[in-house]
Amino acid sequence: MSTTSPHRERPKRTARPAAKALANPGAGRSAGPATAGSARHSQRWLAWIFLAPTILGMGLFTLIPIVASVVLAFFRWDIISAPTFVGFDNFSEVVQDPTVRVSFLNTILFVVVAVAFQLGLALALAIMVQEKMPAWLRVFFRSAFFFPLILSAASVSIFMRYLFNEQFGVVNWFLSLAGIPAVPWLTTPGGSAAVVILVYVWQNFGFSFLLFIGGLASIPVETYEAASIDGATGWRKHLYVTLPLLSPTTLVASVMAIISALQVFDQPYVLTRGGPGDSTRTAVMVIFESAFQRLEFGQASAIGVLLTLIIMAITAAQFRLSKRFVFYQ
Amino acid sequence: MTGATNGHLREITRRTALGALGAGIIGATVASWPRLSGTDIPGRGDNSLSIAIMGTAADAAARQRAIDAFTRLHPEIKVKVQAIQAVDWKDFFTKILTMVAAGTPPDVVYVATEGAQLFAEKLAHPLDEYVRRDAADMREFFDDVHPSLVEAFMYKGSLYQLPMDWNAANMYYNTTAFAQAGLERPADDWTHVDFRNRLAAMRKARTSDFTPYYWTNRLFGGVVPWLYANDTSFLKETRSTGGEWLWDGFYANDPSRSLRSGGYQWLEPNANDDRVFESFDYLRGLVKDGLGVRPEEGGGSSLVGLFASNRIGTTPAGGYWVQGLHEAGMGANDFDVQFFPRWKTQRHQFGTAGYAIMKTAKDKDAAWEWIKFSSSREAMELIFPNPITTPARRSMVNEQLYAGKGPAHWKVFYDTLDRFPTTGPIPAPPQQAAVETALMKNVSLAVSGDERQLKQALSSMQRDLELALRRQS
Repeated sequence: MSTTSPHRERPKRTARPAAKALANPGAGRSAGPATAGSARHSQRWLAWIFLAPTILGMGLFTLIPIVASVVLAFFRWDIISAPTFVGFDNFSEVVQDPTVRVSFLNTILFVVVAVAFQLGLALALAIMVQEKMPAWLRVFFRSAFFFPLILSAASVSIFMRYLFNEQFGVVNWFLSLAGIPAVPWLTTPGGSAAVVILVYVWQNFGFSFLLFIGGLASIPVETYEAASIDGATGWRKHLYVTLPLLSPTTLVASVMAIISALQVFDQPYVLTRGGPGDSTRTAVMVIFESAFQRLEFGQASAIGVLLTLIIMAITAAQFRLSKRFVFYQ
Repeated sequence: MTGATNGHLREITRRTALGALGAGIIGATVASWPRLSGTDIPGRGDNSLSIAIMGTAADAAARQRAIDAFTRLHPEIKVKVQAIQAVDWKDFFTKILTMVAAGTPPDVVYVATEGAQLFAEKLAHPLDEYVRRDAADMREFFDDVHPSLVEAFMYKGSLYQLPMDWNAANMYYNTTAFAQAGLERPADDWTHVDFRNRLAAMRKARTSDFTPYYWTNRLFGGVVPWLYANDTSFLKETRSTGGEWLWDGFYANDPSRSLRSGGYQWLEPNANDDRVFESFDYLRGLVKDGLGVRPEEGGGSSLVGLFASNRIGTTPAGGYWVQGLHEAGMGANDFDVQFFPRWKTQRHQFGTAGYAIMKTAKDKDAAWEWIKFSSSREAMELIFPNPITTPARRSMVNEQLYAGKGPAHWKVFYDTLDRFPTTGPIPAPPQQAAVETALMKNVSLAVSGDERQLKQALSSMQRDLELALRRQS
């Protein structure tokens, strides 16, 4: 298509005075086409200058590492010797590795349980705080529930280790008061998985809680009043009014919670180191172990690529499903 | 300028042409630039000798005194020590490897047994030529250091490090807990059965809020000392040939000369050995009967506090524990140490550490001067003024070091090597990280369930170790 086509020309004619006005307010219509072109030109440069730091940062720290790690997945590299091209060998080794398979299964299981728990808890508490609490208590609980999120996950996991210690932990001490024998929280597969989920949810549900608080505040009171007139009370009001109108918030909260849970690392690494056995080993832990402990950077990249594809597929599926289940006011 | 595109003429503007030119210049510059690394950052690439150690700011004073003494001796060598904080040695090596990946490797690294073969295989420069050259100066050092420690740093006939400090897995016991159970100090040659009986006595005396035997799930002090005592290990241990230049040159008259080799090798898994099963079964019995804890992976951080508050009866540890217990408020007679119990043998496990010169070191001669200085008595006294570890020099493990802090039987520390010369290092092949993970992840399961679960855990360990050892080294 020629650049002189009327379709391309039309916006130029309207844009020039606007651009000129922005670049040189008060200049009016007296300036000729050359001045207007120059103003548009300098405005574009200005835009690029303002965008440059972000573009540069994203290029250097996001785009290049992504491309590099995809490329690296096709090489064997121990960071000491020169990399060797191995084609799809890393991918086939990774797929056959039982530890990798178990860690991906663990991660999926973790996501299902932790996200359900996290969203359910956040929603229940948000409804309770928003509806049942006086304003001053609402402020307190909003801060209190968000507080764990600003703590370092490693520090939280370290003190949780003490709390859940089988012999000397406070949790078992409280249980002993009720006559319950000491639970081997961190040394049995079931116990350690439960603790990892519990610690993760405790630290992360505050974010979903805040999203739900925002979502609940945006639901018009009139809708509830109309529902009451129609005879809806108690949980039926929430089922037929709150949940449908909260669905856009639920979509955002679930997408963010799932992406974050798929990348879980700190809590299982500090609490259990992935054990006992492989019971709490996650996909990101295997990436870390492959790269920085076994020096198999190619394999680590291959696992990273697979995890990225899974995250993309799940997120795409969520948005596709959202067309059926999300209602906008 | 015009060009044909899909049958249409397309105009290339001056701006597009200039943009393309600019992109081309940037691309060509990036492509032709040698690999950009951390040393390209202004101020990073000076000529000082960069030394990486595992440590914190808390150790800075002793470290600075040693640096000052070295600088007086070698004013021409500028030294820069980087203390890197890490949870354990595996974590420390990960950080060093990250520095290597970033293009800023240190010149000298303090490496423990856990990483000795990884460094020897991939990163370190052998010390043979320097030790031979300065044999006259080095003789006094080797005379004072047990050959077992030196052998731990031999790899395929070459020496890669000089041992600076070390620790064996001896058995610490709480004297208050022993007294409450009416127990005396055990004999030097006590057995694993005696040990179990003592745990049972302590359990009987204190039924709650107390653990007779606390142990951790890691490569040092976990299950391995029991395997060594039972004359086995989870990896098959062999030795390399070579190293005669060192043994004949410095240890020709040592009674254990005939035992020495070109270094340890761990090439095959051994988790399906009957004695490995027997050792795990023994520990499983301790857990089942409430005499020992189920070990957590990576656990042990709360150990000093628990032991100092009299809630633990016994635990395996080395000389590095003394200062910690002292600072936690334990008196010199509140605890003591004994050799690890005998089973088939009384072979102990030890770990040692020393400086390695990196292959990439800019000035290897300067690096060697630092190592030689650090191995001197003067430097070691500056670096180890307190019993935070066991110095490699026998003459420094003396009454003065433990005065007022205990334990009463501190001689046990160095006697472990002198009385049991077959005492061996932590099994750590070049694939140590993968091997350690393979061991650790199966230990808890092995000692927590029934006999069937133990067998399953050991076969899983065997399979994981096979995979770990097959990985590129």
